[in-house]
Amino acid sequence: MAWIAKNSATAQIERRDEPYLDDTLKARLEDEVIGRYPRRQAATLPVLHAIQEKYGYIPYQAIEETGDLLGVSASEVLDTATFYEEFFLEPKGRYTIWICQSISCEILGEPSLTEQVSKHLGIQPGQTTSDGKYTLMKVECLGACGGAPCALVNETLHENIGAGNLEQVLDSLE
Amino acid sequence: MPLEKPVLCQRIPTPPWGDPADRVLIDYKQYIETDGYQALDKALETAPINVVEQIKAAEVRGRGGAGFPAGMKWSFLPPEDGQRRYLAINADESEPATFKDRLLLDFDPHQVIEGIAICMHACRLDTAYFYIRGEYHHQREIFEKSVREAYDQKIFGPQAKLGKINDRWPDLFVHRGAGAYICGEETGLLESLEGKRGWPRIKPPFPAVAGAFSRPTIVNNVETLACIPHVIANGSDWFKTLGKGRPDGAPAHVPASFGTKLFGISGPVIKPDVYEEHLGVKMSYVIEQLAGGLQPGRKYKAAIPGGISMGVVGPDEYDCELDFDIGKRHNILGLGTACITVIPEDVSMVAVARNIARFFAHESCGQCTPCREGTTWMYKILSRIETGDGSTGDLDLLLELAGSMGIMSGTTICGLADGANWAVQTILNKFWSEFESAVSRPRNVSLAVAGT
Ligand SMILES: Cc1cc2nc3c(=O)[nH]c(=O)nc-3n(C[C@H](O)[C@H](O)[C@H](O)COP(=O)(O)O)c2cc1C
Ligand code: SF4
Ligand code: FES
Repeated sequence: MAWIAKNSATAQIERRDEPYLDDTLKARLEDEVIGRYPRRQAATLPVLHAIQEKYGYIPYQAIEETGDLLGVSASEVLDTATFYEEFFLEPKGRYTIWICQSISCEILGEPSLTEQVSKHLGIQPGQTTSDGKYTLMKVECLGACGGAPCALVNETLHENIGAGNLEQVLDSLE
Repeated sequence: MPLEKPVLCQRIPTPPWGDPADRVLIDYKQYIETDGYQALDKALETAPINVVEQIKAAEVRGRGGAGFPAGMKWSFLPPEDGQRRYLAINADESEPATFKDRLLLDFDPHQVIEGIAICMHACRLDTAYFYIRGEYHHQREIFEKSVREAYDQKIFGPQAKLGKINDRWPDLFVHRGAGAYICGEETGLLESLEGKRGWPRIKPPFPAVAGAFSRPTIVNNVETLACIPHVIANGSDWFKTLGKGRPDGAPAHVPASFGTKLFGISGPVIKPDVYEEHLGVKMSYVIEQLAGGLQPGRKYKAAIPGGISMGVVGPDEYDCELDFDIGKRHNILGLGTACITVIPEDVSMVAVARNIARFFAHESCGQCTPCREGTTWMYKILSRIETGDGSTGDLDLLLELAGSMGIMSGTTICGLADGANWAVQTILNKFWSEFESAVSRPRNVSLAVAGT
């Protein structure tokens, strides 16, 4: 839910010496992304995507670095980052499974799909397996309703998922 | 009369003209070989204002949900002042049950890019941002590739054939969303584009006057822009031979439903997919003739004809005509995205309403109290009815809550709340007896309560 604010006032931030936004990444973003917008803040989403792509999630320190890069306060970046469902502020599994729970998928069997996958992985939606391999999420319509029920595994879409199909796919992942 | 020739799907094999198995990505070369970018050349020989006039004359209405006339929107732009002006293309496509823009992006992205270029020329917009939902990974990659082709062919960038606009060479950039339905609302989209949370803005000012970065901005849907090259190539009179004309006796300023439309269909039908037909086609035709009817053993009970925000049509509305006036005739919010979800007899309407209320509770951006609290409250009530713990009073409460939220009742900033309102109200009103029997079942009293 987008509007649940997280208490960040007293949060302790884990830090490391090496910046997350290293010089190469910064130069690339400066070159390819930031110049596309008349205001630097507009590059917030693309920068956060780049960080998540590289590290698998968005560490708080990287939020501060994004603020520095774009000339806005860290709290403004945090405000944006917490609004969007795709951004993870905590480490997630190497594979994120997003099962669509919207209307066409529910009608065509999403509840039993979620239950089976959840049982297979031994986690509830919203959780990550203890080996850090899988994170299970339920999402709203993926825009692939013609192939309901469907799910994304990282960036790959799986459609018309039958009993056992998704478990097979998941087991075959490295 | 069924559509003779596909318009938007002329390069995308679609029944009854082609087999979906033959669909391939149309690249720049193939697009040119099939008369692509000729409409752009034609538009570039025409004065911008006359291009706008043609779109106005064709009465092209927005395909993103609201059905606002595109030409009229374009003419709301203030006079040029030499500073930047923007186009934001709405490819957020997140309305549940909607997957029509995706078809265009998967297979014929240049059709959309040509529409974008014509719009930039006509409206004097120098920079376009293509706001695509975060989950459309494959579509984003294809679109980025196609944009690079367009730059290579000098449609955009330095020395572009569009020429300088507002003293700049025109640009088209892809901007990726990050999973928030509300960023499909046009001002939520602009806030998100500016790097903030996608909180819709209070209007006025409308985006055409003060949009992205406080500058004049046009927001149009992918499919709307894909219609533009066809209007320019074939003329507005041709466009008006398609679709459904003005209702009988209506004056000329009443917008009609001209043109063809992409209709998505999902749920338990034999061939769920996206089809193209005249606006005004009967829903029963789409279900039976195009989608092959319902799966064996399943029977039609209801349908959501245009994305869940619009509400439902019931058993006696199977033949409803899908055009922009459907709202008035069938007491729903409107045509919406024209993507149909078929609800079979074995699915409970309480479950449907609960699923929909959960969606809105989850996606409400939280700015307006009636929407933030109301959607969650409706979800809780519907969940309780579903598990057998509801009471008759709950039904009245649901109607009261639903009726109290929305721009139409003047209590919220954006239309998300109207969607929640109409979805819940229409399901409840059209299936009242089903809800009544759900709340009049003996209540499940837990032992803990019984013992006290
Ligand atoms: C809550 C909400 C969500 C919306 N989502 C979308 C969307 O995903 N895609 C879209 O094109 N329009 C969406 N719209 C409609 C846009 O606000 C806007 O009307 C549309 O993009 C304008 O383009 P058009 O005139 O070409 O249809 C949404 C509206 C609301 C209120
Ligand atoms: S109506 Fe709902 S989604 Fe729209 S601005 Fe208000 S709280 Fe946000
Ligand atoms: S309802 Fe599941 S993809 Fe649209």
